[in-house]
Amino acid sequence: MTRDIALIDVLDRLLEGGVVLTGDLTLAIADVDLVRISLRALICPVEATREAAQP
Amino acid sequence: MTGEPARAASHRFATEPETVERDLARLALTIVELLRQLMERQAVHRVERGDLTADEEERIGTTLMLLDDRMTHLLERFGLTRDELNLDLGPLGTLLPND
Amino acid sequence: MTGARYVYAIGRPLDPAGLAGLRGIDGAQVHQVAHRDLVAVVSAAPHDEAALRARLERLDELAVVARAHHAVVAAVAALTVVAPFRLATIYQHEHRVCELLRDRHQRFEALLDRLAGTVELGVKLYMEDSPPAPAPAAAGGSGRAYLRQLSQRHRRRDTEWQHAASTAERVDTTLGAHALDRNHHRLQPAHLSGVSGRNVLNAAYLVSTARVSEFAELASRLAKDEPAMRVEVTGPWAPYSFAEPDGGQRP
Repeated sequence: MTRDIALIDVLDRLLEGGVVLTGDLTLAIADVDLVRISLRALICPVEATREAAQP
Repeated sequence: MTGEPARAASHRFATEPETVERDLARLALTIVELLRQLMERQAVHRVERGDLTADEEERIGTTLMLLDDRMTHLLERFGLTRDELNLDLGPLGTLLPND
Repeated sequence: MTGARYVYAIGRPLDPAGLAGLRGIDGAQVHQVAHRDLVAVVSAAPHDEAALRARLERLDELAVVARAHHAVVAAVAALTVVAPFRLATIYQHEHRVCELLRDRHQRFEALLDRLAGTVELGVKLYMEDSPPAPAPAAAGGSGRAYLRQLSQRHRRRDTEWQHAASTAERVDTTLGAHALDRNHHRLQPAHLSGVSGRNVLNAAYLVSTARVSEFAELASRLAKDEPAMRVEVTGPWAPYSFAEPDGGQRP
């Protein structure tokens, strides 16, 4: 696979597809997290996770 | 990475006053734009139903025209484009339609 | 998180030579954890959990992690059947990964059997932008005329949209009938994908490896009949969209 694969297509699959398991996971991306970190939420910037001021 | 808009890299905000003001403007104008679009849709719906008098059509049409004009000026004032006005609601999609 | 393992996929046992030099998140060496005839493809997870979580909330860093994850999945998929994992699945210790394989053995077996010899193809349909209607005349025009123009614009957009939606449904149904399974992703807004036109279908199809070109050709053919439609076929992908252990979403 080359770098010509669009990020949005990769994220469609990695954030909403794939095997999902609960249990011993320390960083499972739950649905709530998807809203925060999904590509769409990040690009439309009016959301809760604003960056702290840079040091 | 092909296919990614240039804006993608700049989604993080500095906390300079102008940026904060611009972001607040973007949020406020998004809401105003939502209302404007709803009013527009409602007006068009009534025109198509034919239940407006000529006078009402004139008044409503003029109001919408002025509203749109006002919005254009506000956008210019804050250096925003209409495309930038939107809110993402995650699984619910975006607040405003994307066309 | 010393000893923690980032899991990329479940698969069949691999010749270790196939994994030599394969690097994952943060350049960690990829290896396999085996239990009977199943393996989990893993690497040492990044040490700082909080930092990783923060990274995943920044688009530029999320992209790096996502592409690293995808690169590992793609490399392994070229060697054996895999059930790819969603982003950022981490277990505290390697023995927990073994337990996972043991506890879910039957379901993973069934999943791999179902996915063997298949790949995922993505099909995206775009409705080309029609030339923008001239903005209704502003100052000077009558309110009534403005309203009429708005009405025309709305009606035209509705018709275009209805047509696009029914075409999308037709293409999706036809392709679905030629695939082993199908699934849908969210439509991609133009300002995110950076391409022209409006995305009206964003679907994934599970297809046997032998029928990939035939399927791709069918997708092109279906879109060609529609003058204002553009089709984009992506893949072959490892079967991300069909990795439900309890069966796919065959409509």
